[in-house]
Amino acid sequence: MATIIGGIGTSHVPTIAMAYDRKKQGDPDWAPLFKGYEPVTKWLAERKPDVLVFFYNDHATTFFFDHYPTFALGVSAEYPIADEGLGPRPVPPLKGHPALARHMAESLVNEEFDISVFQDLPLDHGCHSPLTMFWPPAPDWPGKIVPVEINVLQHPLPTPLRCYKLGQAVRRAVLSYPEDLKVVVVGTGGLSHQLNGERAGFNNEEWDLKFLELIDSDPGALTKMTHADYIRLGGTEGAEEVMWLAMRGALSEKTRKVHQNYYLPMTAAMAVALFEEPA
Amino acid sequence: MNPQLKGIETLAGTYLFDLERSGRGLRLNRFLHGLTRPAKRALFKEDPEAAFEEAGLAAGERRMVRELDWVALIRYGASFFCLEKLARVKGVSNPEMVSAFRGETLEQFLKTRNVPGAR
Repeated sequence: MATIIGGIGTSHVPTIAMAYDRKKQGDPDWAPLFKGYEPVTKWLAERKPDVLVFFYNDHATTFFFDHYPTFALGVSAEYPIADEGLGPRPVPPLKGHPALARHMAESLVNEEFDISVFQDLPLDHGCHSPLTMFWPPAPDWPGKIVPVEINVLQHPLPTPLRCYKLGQAVRRAVLSYPEDLKVVVVGTGGLSHQLNGERAGFNNEEWDLKFLELIDSDPGALTKMTHADYIRLGGTEGAEEVMWLAMRGALSEKTRKVHQNYYLPMTAAMAVALFEEPA
Repeated sequence: MNPQLKGIETLAGTYLFDLERSGRGLRLNRFLHGLTRPAKRALFKEDPEAAFEEAGLAAGERRMVRELDWVALIRYGASFFCLEKLARVKGVSNPEMVSAFRGETLEQFLKTRNVPGAR
């Protein structure tokens, strides 16, 4: 049977991809970011998961507002790298796991989580900007992904509680998959940032650190907050943190956070946290 | 009123991208989103007025895009993430857009940041 061996929460700011693509590992402005991902990279290299289930958001790249999905699950064998205005990043297409993804679609829909399903669509930085930091293609990706898109762009957004419940439903789906697969769940986005209006550039380090504590010790408290709370505390784009809640919902009660890093160089707070399930 | 957004109206300097704004900005956002396609991008670079015409943009929409009036665009109903596509094509960075939203120069904005070189 498939098992979930851990989880990763991570920011997905496009400059993370830029720093990787331009090999900024040794640049003092970027070194603290790269260093923060090292324990995650090492853990993944040791534990060798087969699949990463990726709760991420599209940035009006693959999906447009003529039909913007609240939740969408990718079921392809391959996903091209999206062109976001400068041409695709120089990394290989992402590899999917269609059999697991199809099983997840059935499991979710049959327990009334009516997600939409996509295939053969490109994925943007919301998915692969953090991915290259901890699962670098050398030269190809070390494993497969199942992308789960969440609308955090166009209000009304799914509630924080709903995102947590999505994670729980994904957990049941993965654990009922008959093949022996090691799965890690990933939630991307945040932490505090705002990219519109005179309040743009807003950050809240105190809230960010509190969030990093609560996502480990008391995710229930985070599900009781409204989007207005997230936006007031962490900026309009800080609301992306609900994707971390989906990741956390897919982990067990016994999971524990074994690593975190926080770096706020410019406009968005960049954080990564690693959760491990007891063996 | 969406109960999830109760109290948001008291937050100054924030333009929430909701269905009303999305509806108003749809034509403009479709044009901006189109810049992810090489052919549309090439047309916009070579002949912006022809690209505006093809997209059926209104005069005010054309002006905002032509002048890269980020503040007006976001107030009007552009999605930041669609504006990002325009910014990439025009060689404008996110910190430059953010400083424009704040009514600051890039230099002023960078002075408020922890690591001004990280961009």
